[in-house]
Amino acid sequence: MIEIKKVGKHYGHFQVLSDCTTAVAQGEVVVVCGPSGSGKSTLIKCVNGLEPFQSGDIVVDGTSLAAPGIDLPRLRARVGMVFQHFELFPHMSIMENLSIAQRKVLGRSADEARERGLKLLDRVGLRTQAEKYPGQLSGGQQQRVAIARALAMDPICMLFDEPTSALDPEMINEVLDVMVELARDGMTMMCVTHEMGFARRVAHRVIFMDQGRIVEDAAKEDFFGTPRSERAQLFLSKILRH
Amino acid sequence: MGYHWNWSVFLQPTAAGDGSYLGWLLTGLQWTVSLSLAAWLIALASGTLVGVLRTVPNRWLAGLATAWVELFRNIPLLVQLFIWYFVLPELLPQRLGDAYKQSDPLVQQFLAAMVCLGLFTSARVAEQVRAGIGSLPPGQKNAGLALGLTLPQTYRHVMLPMAFRLILPPLTSEFLNIFKNSAVATTIGLIELSRQAQQLVDYTAQPYEAFIAVTLLYVLINLTVMILMRRLEHRVRVPGFVGGGQ
Ligand SMILES: Nc1ncnc2c1ncn2[C@@H]1O[C@H](COP(=O)(O)OP(=O)(O)O)[C@@H](O)[C@H]1O
Ligand SMILES: [Mg+2]
Repeated sequence: MIEIKKVGKHYGHFQVLSDCTTAVAQGEVVVVCGPSGSGKSTLIKCVNGLEPFQSGDIVVDGTSLAAPGIDLPRLRARVGMVFQHFELFPHMSIMENLSIAQRKVLGRSADEARERGLKLLDRVGLRTQAEKYPGQLSGGQQQRVAIARALAMDPICMLFDEPTSALDPEMINEVLDVMVELARDGMTMMCVTHEMGFARRVAHRVIFMDQGRIVEDAAKEDFFGTPRSERAQLFLSKILRH
Repeated sequence: MGYHWNWSVFLQPTAAGDGSYLGWLLTGLQWTVSLSLAAWLIALASGTLVGVLRTVPNRWLAGLATAWVELFRNIPLLVQLFIWYFVLPELLPQRLGDAYKQSDPLVQQFLAAMVCLGLFTSARVAEQVRAGIGSLPPGQKNAGLALGLTLPQTYRHVMLPMAFRLILPPLTSEFLNIFKNSAVATTIGLIELSRQAQQLVDYTAQPYEAFIAVTLLYVLINLTVMILMRRLEHRVRVPGFVGGGQ
């Protein structure tokens, strides 16, 4: 579904990503972790073309991102993305947030978009909030809406960039629960997160990044059993302590 | 001081025999208002476009937009007006230039002043629009793009609606400025409000009444604009939204 091949990216002399290679198969859940500044966000944004890269290639469902003349909006419409700070559109009601791209990008009618939106709000437990505005919801609720907004596009895979790290602790679980359910339903997911409980429950593989490189790329059992690199061990011991 | 107040001067027939002096003031008011509104439409449309272009990833377009802003912002308004009124018609192709110069002088004055004020103000509107876009959380653009919206769609539906809400107060003062600045049109002979006041003084020798009346009319314009913009601010207020940025 997602193939990342020898991807390299630099800002001037600063190498953000070096020789990153991995793949996410259909229905697979891959967790990406690593210290702050290691390039996790950059890598995941390369997958839907929000960040350009200078070398290598990324192929999403057969479409190469390095190909000249690639139709990025078309690709992005099929790849859902959830951000650390939710990024709901504050001037639109929850329902408008869910329907704007369905209508403008997929060409669905207002009624179709609304119906699909309500179904997804149901799924994240927020059907009654449809007419509210983002500023009237809690952080956890906003992030659930953001997930529903991405799902409303019927994506072939979902990208998450630290979806719970901006949340108050008591709201983290309501978002993780939605993500766990999504994973169990067979959604292909690439999640940047430090929630190792989530990784243990649903991840198939864990990728560990450091200084722009994929240092470890292992099945979940192997990663939590005996990570091969010292840096991954050190990182794990640090984040598992609290 | 032996000043002889005479407020009834406004009701007297004019020396030119074209109605009352009050009628002169109201004609001036009409020209000031229509000139300012027409110029504001130009300023808003071109200023929004230029402000947006200043924020796009394309360096050529952004550079062009920057040049626009610097050009119209840094040349004094009066000089710009003389260029539009006296110089530009000479640079038109012969036939077009002649046709323009033979048209009603009032039309010439109005067009020159409208384009001049509109473009001068567009540079200032563009700066506000750019600042508004710049103060949005950076993730908003990515969120729009990630849903598959094109860059223009993202500006149209995601970024500009919030940016305009954030810059409504400074836009209101630009809107007020355009009414004040419209008085420069008097220098090329347009019979707008401040020119009518001068005429009134010349004809009636009642300067205090004339300038008090004109001042009141400008105040009236200001109040009307402020009330309308307040209403607009109220209407587009976003429920639950506090402050700009994050
Ligand atoms: N626009 C940019 N210009 C220069 N450096 C950047 C830019 N964006 C990110 N970086 C750098 O790239 C590195 C990786 O960033 P990021 O992918 O956000 O890391 P992570 O998500 O793992 O914390 C960081 O060192 C960051 O400072
Ligand atoms: Mg990050």
